Amino acid sequence: MLYSIQTQSLKPEDGTTILNKQRLQRPSSPHFTIYEPQLTWVGSIFNRITGVGLGFLLYGFSLAYLVAPGTFDSAHVIEFVNGLPDAVKYTGKFILALPFSFHSWNGIRHLLWDSGKFLTVTGAYSTGYAVLGATAISMLVLMFQ
Amino acid sequence: MSSSLILRSTLSKALIKSSLIRSSTQVRQSTSDRFAYVPGGPIYKGTVNDPTTFPPPSKTHGSYHWAFERLVSAALVPMTVAAFATSGTNYPIFDGILGLTLIIHSHIGFDSSAVDYLHPRKFSVLGPIVKWTLRAATVGTMVGVYQFNTNDIGLTELIAKVWAA
Repeated sequence: MLYSIQTQSLKPEDGTTILNKQRLQRPSSPHFTIYEPQLTWVGSIFNRITGVGLGFLLYGFSLAYLVAPGTFDSAHVIEFVNGLPDAVKYTGKFILALPFSFHSWNGIRHLLWDSGKFLTVTGAYSTGYAVLGATAISMLVLMFQ
Repeated sequence: MSSSLILRSTLSKALIKSSLIRSSTQVRQSTSDRFAYVPGGPIYKGTVNDPTTFPPPSKTHGSYHWAFERLVSAALVPMTVAAFATSGTNYPIFDGILGLTLIIHSHIGFDSSAVDYLHPRKFSVLGPIVKWTLRAATVGTMVGVYQFNTNDIGLTELIAKVWAA
């Protein structure tokens, strides 16, 4: 029997392209979703998240002031915050105090590691719990000042 | 018996020496050749099986960057404590230095995150875009903080007043 076969002429580089397209479709085993949450890596990524969040706040406000100094000058900002209800004010203080406290205390913990101290599992955990405690205390102090 | 053993050991030593010389010259040639021959077959560069590339060793991007980053972070600790203790209007120069150090610290942090998650090696278009956008944003933020500290009450004063509002 004679089958009519359609052929397609490809260049040698197309082999790499087809391979890459197929590689993008391959599944990968679960890794990030199954790793047991531990103080070590949860504290580390939370340090980065808080740092990036505070950085966005700093950059966002500074660029907004640069673009529109009339709307974002101190008088308007203070007036706007003053007009908010108390519950929103406390929520706002919480949203600012928690990341700032955690990032500051964890930053000191990081600097201690950089000087060579507490570079053990027990050291990481004990300093980690100390950071959590200090964060809670300083956050409450800042919120209810 | 012992004499033949001695002969064998010196012979093997000579062979090892000459093969070492041969393999070191082969290694020297293989770094500059496209079809470098090593035992096992030539290595073809330019396929998807190429090993990852590494940046050239540089103290500016290596140990000096690391030390500078820790220096900035360590300086921020007493500066933040001082900012809580005093007010920005009494010490405007200190306020400016604190703002500048905070921006440098933020830039280094953003840059580390961008390099970790959007490395130009893997993201050939988005990586450089994010890198240069960050640099432009840092310059803009420095100008904005300078303007705010000069024409307005300053960062520490603003935070104190907003907190009390």
